[in-house]
Amino acid sequence: MSTIASSAPRPGVGSRSARPFGLIVTGIERLTPLLPLAWLGVFFVAPLGFTVVYAFANSTFGGVQLAFTFTNFQQALSGFYLHIFLHTLVFAAMGTAGALIVGMPLAYVLGRKAGRYRTVLAVAVLIPFWTSFLLRTLSWETLLAAGGPVQAVLNFLGLHSGSLGWIDTNKAVAIGLVYGYLPLMVVPLFVSFDRIPAEVLEASKDLGANRIKTFLHVTLPIARPGVFTAILLTFVPMTGEFVIPALLGGDKGVLMGGLIYNQYLGAANYPLGSAMAVLVMLVIGVVLIAFSRLTRGFDQIGVAA
Amino acid sequence: MSTLPLAGGRISRLRASKLSRRFNAIDTGLWLITVCVFIFLLAPIVTVVIFAFNKGVLGKQTATFTGFTTHWFAAVWADPTLHHSLAVSVKVAVPMALISVIVGTTAGLAVVRHPWKPMRLTLEALMYYLLVVPEIVLGISLLIFFTRTNFTLGYMTLIAGHSPFPIAVVALIVRSRVVALDATLEDAAADLGARSWRSLLDVILPQLLPAIITGLIMSFTFSFDDLIISEMLATPTVSTLPVYIFGETHSGVAPNVYAIATMMLAVTLIGFALVGIVSRIFARAGAQEVSLSSAVAGQHGGP
Repeated sequence: MSTIASSAPRPGVGSRSARPFGLIVTGIERLTPLLPLAWLGVFFVAPLGFTVVYAFANSTFGGVQLAFTFTNFQQALSGFYLHIFLHTLVFAAMGTAGALIVGMPLAYVLGRKAGRYRTVLAVAVLIPFWTSFLLRTLSWETLLAAGGPVQAVLNFLGLHSGSLGWIDTNKAVAIGLVYGYLPLMVVPLFVSFDRIPAEVLEASKDLGANRIKTFLHVTLPIARPGVFTAILLTFVPMTGEFVIPALLGGDKGVLMGGLIYNQYLGAANYPLGSAMAVLVMLVIGVVLIAFSRLTRGFDQIGVAA
Repeated sequence: MSTLPLAGGRISRLRASKLSRRFNAIDTGLWLITVCVFIFLLAPIVTVVIFAFNKGVLGKQTATFTGFTTHWFAAVWADPTLHHSLAVSVKVAVPMALISVIVGTTAGLAVVRHPWKPMRLTLEALMYYLLVVPEIVLGISLLIFFTRTNFTLGYMTLIAGHSPFPIAVVALIVRSRVVALDATLEDAAADLGARSWRSLLDVILPQLLPAIITGLIMSFTFSFDDLIISEMLATPTVSTLPVYIFGETHSGVAPNVYAIATMMLAVTLIGFALVGIVSRIFARAGAQEVSLSSAVAGQHGGP
């Protein structure tokens, strides 16, 4: 249905402009962008602009001297910082892949198979969404701890023996990332699977395709904008994730978000932190442009809500 | 597809029965994965509730259950810092949700309806960027901005700082609703002499109401749950609940944290139930309105 919805002309636009009242009606619509542009200009665009300016400034022991230098970028792209930057991108890609693998079957079952259990299952997926992200992440600290519940289950199943040393390692961060972003992954996927008309899949079946063929050649291509939206919504915020590595990663699991945070509330090297933030924004901008055609305007989010 | 044999009728039933064994294998696999994923999703929440009643050792949370106690709930209840940060969270989240709904709704309208295409595209691009900018980046930017422009950090800066992301969410929800608006209703309103602002108030906004209420709840939740921007903009006196909780976790999990989480979960579930009831009432009222207005517009049956 997404193709129909996005390619259809906007209802009302044609009929209104054809009427003598058209000018009066559009009058108020001309003014609607003023409020969001003004508000977001002050509290979103301007602050990001300040960060960009800071990224080129000199750091003076907790202070900032405005200048035009690339030393912050050089520092952010060398040694340990570069390593963490690349490590973060790899981790975000892996976390996204993990969430996709775990989320795809769930979204498919929810959208196409759940039948009368649909509402119950959808609420169960959304309950984590409505409870504190911080506290849910914290809970993994107990779950994954040595002697904790996960260790007990793994030992019982014979998948692991002895004490579980996953806390404060990359493993715990990876589990936390997949867990934390799973609802974000599932919702757009669910909406796009759900919107596929049953007749289309039936036609594929009548033409002799089996389940797997139908999924690969019919379901997945129709759901493609939703899949890309889900990937984008998961990957991009992961590159700046702070809470999960801070709680589950310890010293070994630091990601870019933690580095930026430390430059601000720890080392007080604001220009370096700003340069790191600008680098993250650049990566996101590139990914966003690359995905802009593929996602069809995040249509699924509005519909899901 | 379980629905397919039903929809397909007799023709496909024969083939379906031939392949049914393989179909069932796929279905069983899918459901098995689903069950596992649900355990994965819900295990942390169950853990939080169970360990909220854990005695722990020497005032620390432990990974194994050492004994049942309700002590932590009493401790949380008697904690004045917690009361204060909870009050701050509510005082920030309520006005913030109202502002994001107002700004987000106008943005959602403009992104579909503004006659000038570059304006629509600009707004759209802004929404996407808002949605994906990491909070840490926005958090430090707001901190630089407010300190450089000599804003005093406090309630106002926290409210303004929380607002960008919820505005984008509200705008997207409203947009999907605006796209689906029934144009004949506005035509009818104009034919009956309604001016543009009348049409907006009496015809468009009522149709957007479900989207606006959803946006309101989501905005409130975001603000209430936000840690990173709050952590950046918090002051010793104006500090939200997540900031307090995060501070408590610096040396391992403090046991009272799970008790807080359990209470918040209970409140959320009660809220869920209330929203369910309210939306049911709304749905009933809305259905009547639609049938009435579609009668005015000369439609039969309605959408």
